[in-house]
Amino acid sequence: MLFKIAIKNLLGARLRTWLNVFVTALSFFMIILFSAMYDGMREHAKQVTIDTEIAGGAYWHPQYDPMDPMTFEDAHAVPPSTVKALVNQGKAFPVLVSQASIYPNGRIMPVIMKGITPEQNIVNMPTQMLAGHEEVTIPVLIGRSMAKDARLEVGDAFTIRWLDADRTYDADEGTVVHIMSTENFKLDMGHIWIPLEKAQTMLAMEGEATYVTYAEGLSIVENKGNWIPRDVKYLIRDMEALIEADEPNAAIMYVILLCFAGMGIFNAQVLSIFRRGKEIGTLMALGMTRARVVGLFTLEGGLNALLAAILTIILFGPVLWYFGVNGIWLGVDYSDGAMGLIVEKYLIPVYSVGLVVTTTIVVSIIVLIVSYMPSRRIARMKPTDALRGKVTV
Amino acid sequence: MGNSVVTINNLVKRFPVGGDFFTALKNVNLSLEKGEFTGLVGPSGSGKTTLLNVIGGLDSPSEGLVTVLKKSLGETSHNERAELRRKNMGFIFQSYNLLPVYTVFENVELPLILNKVDPQERDKKVTQAIEWVGLSDKINSRPAMLSGGECQRTAIARAIVHQPALILADEPTANLDAENSHHIMKIMVQLNQELSTSFIFATHDEKIMAYLRRIIHLDDGKIVNDEQIDQPKSGN
Repeated sequence: MLFKIAIKNLLGARLRTWLNVFVTALSFFMIILFSAMYDGMREHAKQVTIDTEIAGGAYWHPQYDPMDPMTFEDAHAVPPSTVKALVNQGKAFPVLVSQASIYPNGRIMPVIMKGITPEQNIVNMPTQMLAGHEEVTIPVLIGRSMAKDARLEVGDAFTIRWLDADRTYDADEGTVVHIMSTENFKLDMGHIWIPLEKAQTMLAMEGEATYVTYAEGLSIVENKGNWIPRDVKYLIRDMEALIEADEPNAAIMYVILLCFAGMGIFNAQVLSIFRRGKEIGTLMALGMTRARVVGLFTLEGGLNALLAAILTIILFGPVLWYFGVNGIWLGVDYSDGAMGLIVEKYLIPVYSVGLVVTTTIVVSIIVLIVSYMPSRRIARMKPTDALRGKVTV
Repeated sequence: MGNSVVTINNLVKRFPVGGDFFTALKNVNLSLEKGEFTGLVGPSGSGKTTLLNVIGGLDSPSEGLVTVLKKSLGETSHNERAELRRKNMGFIFQSYNLLPVYTVFENVELPLILNKVDPQERDKKVTQAIEWVGLSDKINSRPAMLSGGECQRTAIARAIVHQPALILADEPTANLDAENSHHIMKIMVQLNQELSTSFIFATHDEKIMAYLRRIIHLDDGKIVNDEQIDQPKSGN
């Protein structure tokens, strides 16, 4: 009986129903989109790091600590034969890391110089741009932010100074052969990339490497000597920690969005119900009990939430899908790492099942509460007062 | 007592006003039999609507005993009073109180839905009630599309559709012109005669009084005159 009346009321109220449903659907949309953007930003940072830097994992020289540049001096050796075999099969590539100084435009800049195999296609870096270039002494690949900081352009030459394995300082001329545009600022800021063989020669570390990055889907090799296997989970642990530390912010943002949505829904529902005080009085005069009046309006709220969920799918579903495929242009370039996290120019929201289900449940509960509370208050009034429209918010 | 529809003994009704109380009904005693066509008549503030609301269980007495259709309202719960109204009473309001989003049919159908009447029987009864008040051509119209007289006729159809024993009408013609007022009163007289439905009107409209067979005069919350009319002026 209540269901039939609730359906009649909802369909009969036409514009009022659709306004309430639209406000609720808009809330669903906003919460899902903004939370998905937030999740997308974090997911993207992880994906870009894996795609451009980590691949399936790496074997580290036991002395290597990327957070401590002082270790670079000793963190080099010929990789174990099993690891070298992966390199020979094209399933891994070695990187030789050392400290260096560059002197662009008369300035001195400390950098991390990394020798990398130009032919590698395991990580998404334009290392093939380092190939060839017989005409230059040291071909150098740098990122856009680094180029901006050092005021370097393609073809510019500058002095590179390094300490080789014999603890001898040496210097030569590097030439920028390509400026890469990468979302991973960790490959860009303070880094110069040169061909591996050139780096090995310069540093007097023939055949040596600091770490070897291997392709995704490979398992850890046996007989890896004292080299330490580092899987993806380990290599993104800092980012995971950053994301975990950011969880309270994400939760706060979710709650703020819910509060905004709640206020919108509350206004729409409360105004709608209090406007119907006389109608509630009439229903009571016709013999509807208080519990049924409250039940009717709460049920209407529930149906409102259901309609809103359907409307969200119909009206905002294509918008969410479009953003999910094409991303949302942020309008700001964070490739210099100013955010402390990799942030893309086109942010692709990630719609997790958990987010959609949680949002649907939470918003529905809000709708039910803001339908239940005012109708209960009106139903507790004397029918004579409700009939006279003596209802105050 | 056997045919008594309403019995009121020493009814007092007070309303809180500021820090004090206003006494709207003072020691009212009244008995109404089945099939009566009674008017509560008096100036504004005399207590007509308050008495009607107390009889309808919409308001509770401050003192005294009110028995409606053999149920003592003082001893019934809110739900029991709601059930009494749902099954045995019909209300007609001055401002119609039709649900604006419902059509004429749906407004009239509502008491039957609340009484869980079978859909087929519901359709039959609603159609019959609407025919009775002469609104068959407006069956799918909403209240906003109806005139005042048509709205009140819809309200009457809603009040009679479940054939209650008692109909309470609060100033049912106050918003209507003379022609509509007479038309509506004739419908109610016909219902009273054909179904033996008891009617209680709260009114100060002279046009209604011409149809009444009993007029109870109220003044300052007290019954000052209780007049039986053998030959109403309208001739019903």
